[in-house]
Amino acid sequence: MSKSESKRLLEVKDLTVQYLTGEEVVEAVNGVSFTLDRGETLGLVGETGAGKTTIAKSILRILPDPPAKVAGGEIFLDGEDLLHMPESKMRTIRGKKISMIFQDPMTALNPIFSIGDQIAEVIRLHEKKLSKKAAYEKAVAMLEMVGIPGERYSDFPHQFSGGMKQRVIIAIALACNPELLLADEPTTALDVTIQAQVLDMMRKLKEELGTSMILITHDLGIVAEVCDKVAVVYAGEIVESGNLEAIYDHGSHPYTKGLFGSIPDIEGEEKRLSPINGMPPNPADLPEGCNFHPRCPYATDACRKGKIPFTEVAAGHLVRCVQAQKGEF
Amino acid sequence: MVDILEVKNLKKYFKINSGQLHAVDDVTFSIQKGKTLGVVGESGCGKSTLGRTVLHLLESTDGQIFFDGEDVTHVDAKKLRKLREKMQIIFQDPFSSLNPRMSVSTTIAEPLELSGRFGKAEIGSLTDQLMDTVGLAPRLRNSYPHELDGGRRQRIGIARALALEPDFIVCDEPVSALDVSIQAQILNLMQDLQEKRQLTYIFITHDLSVVRHISDDICVMYMGQMVEKSPSKELFKNPLHPYTKALLSAVPVPNIHKKQERIILKGEVTSPVNPPPGCRFAKRCRYAAEGCQAPQNLTEVSPGHFLACHRYQEID
Repeated sequence: MSKSESKRLLEVKDLTVQYLTGEEVVEAVNGVSFTLDRGETLGLVGETGAGKTTIAKSILRILPDPPAKVAGGEIFLDGEDLLHMPESKMRTIRGKKISMIFQDPMTALNPIFSIGDQIAEVIRLHEKKLSKKAAYEKAVAMLEMVGIPGERYSDFPHQFSGGMKQRVIIAIALACNPELLLADEPTTALDVTIQAQVLDMMRKLKEELGTSMILITHDLGIVAEVCDKVAVVYAGEIVESGNLEAIYDHGSHPYTKGLFGSIPDIEGEEKRLSPINGMPPNPADLPEGCNFHPRCPYATDACRKGKIPFTEVAAGHLVRCVQAQKGEF
Repeated sequence: MVDILEVKNLKKYFKINSGQLHAVDDVTFSIQKGKTLGVVGESGCGKSTLGRTVLHLLESTDGQIFFDGEDVTHVDAKKLRKLREKMQIIFQDPFSSLNPRMSVSTTIAEPLELSGRFGKAEIGSLTDQLMDTVGLAPRLRNSYPHELDGGRRQRIGIARALALEPDFIVCDEPVSALDVSIQAQILNLMQDLQEKRQLTYIFITHDLSVVRHISDDICVMYMGQMVEKSPSKELFKNPLHPYTKALLSAVPVPNIHKKQERIILKGEVTSPVNPPPGCRFAKRCRYAAEGCQAPQNLTEVSPGHFLACHRYQEID
């Protein structure tokens, strides 16, 4: 959090997104709320299909509509209502105030433009007064910032390795000094030693530029390293949120505990993993009550009806679980 | 304990336009019955090629493969068929390794039918047993792959590999495509099966916490070469090769109280096409010296711990 203007940057309230596919209504995001301060990094953790990417895409308003429909909720960036803004204004925000790093560096770049031109494109779109030459110079500077020599400006994506392509994508995302960076599994497609390079770089850039970030990942190791706070997402709902300590040392929701139990410990002695039983629910047919109850070893009748509210078990540590309501953690 | 598989100086080169691509270069190891050898390395290091060459899915360029004490490096088609009943593979991607037009029971029954050893009724009951063994509900018999999630599809792949009661299975990234909660279920299943059936695994993965969890021995590959091989615990406690050290330090640990020193590798990766002799890691290695241009020999530095680096004593 920067001290000069310790202001809230982003506020997501009760966001609900559905995919309408023929007969079915897929409930992808169900009443998600969170806030993000300047300079803060939030980790959105969860498994495939939990709705993490949908949350990020609704902030940028790039969900394909149809089939996606934001059925409710509000998103404020700097106090401005993003969901009800005219599209023309939204375009000045995308890439300028908010930008996104996509998961797969192999497909996110355009194969027929040089990587330098792809960086310069963002700059020229948002800083129209800038001359072609100035944009070129800025793009070269961006390349060097992410550790790629400026001479490679005119090279094409296929001439780079996966790790370097991801660095180009990060350069594009940061070219206009965004206030908010949405990073959707930015290192999942990379090898661990390259991942270490990219994470290291992202952390440095964040410190230098003071960018706020939402990091989407399924890797609890990466979250521990990069994030300030965490929200655990299950079946389109945040089931637990808090700072790193709350989640890693005092994780209370049975799903959070299950996630930690499923990871083989690189240092521990355990012989058997304790996985979560069963499968995630079908988002077109969510169970009544707590979405996790069919897989939960502690489920009681109280879990099977009604919407389970958040309980604040410690300052800033929220848990959506009946047991927590009773104060049993 | 007997070695079920022994591989000596195995090489697999691919001919490409610009020369020879050394995918697997001079790899030697052996596995005892009922044990698991983990093979780790980053993408393109040749670990899948190694697994496939051992199984004769790819023809080896040079070297020897012994299975159950018998030299099987060059076998004719008839013998290979018999051999394949004993050695099987589980593929990485359960989304593309199954035939979309075959139902669950047909897919699992296929190897049983092809073996020509069983009658129709027997195949039916064996298929049911296999589905039960891998934890697939009987109601899924007539389902098709697209109706199932990744975990269930991988269970089909496992059932199919188990059908002819092999002794040895190459598991090529069997859990990489799965979510962690499902991944843990499959890893537990594979360990149970190993115990019950005395299976021997080669477990290929890039995930270091998974490989530590499941393996007895681990071999670390870099650009087709084996740089270090050691009992699993020893490797994590006492990694010696500079590459192994960097690799282990790069893994993000889900623990907020243990901040580890990270070795960030610099430099770009050497091409595996017509590589010069010597250590292929040297270009990224901070300890590189002149002696690294010469071929590195695999030496045993402590019981079972092999290493291909001539400078290991100086850099510790």
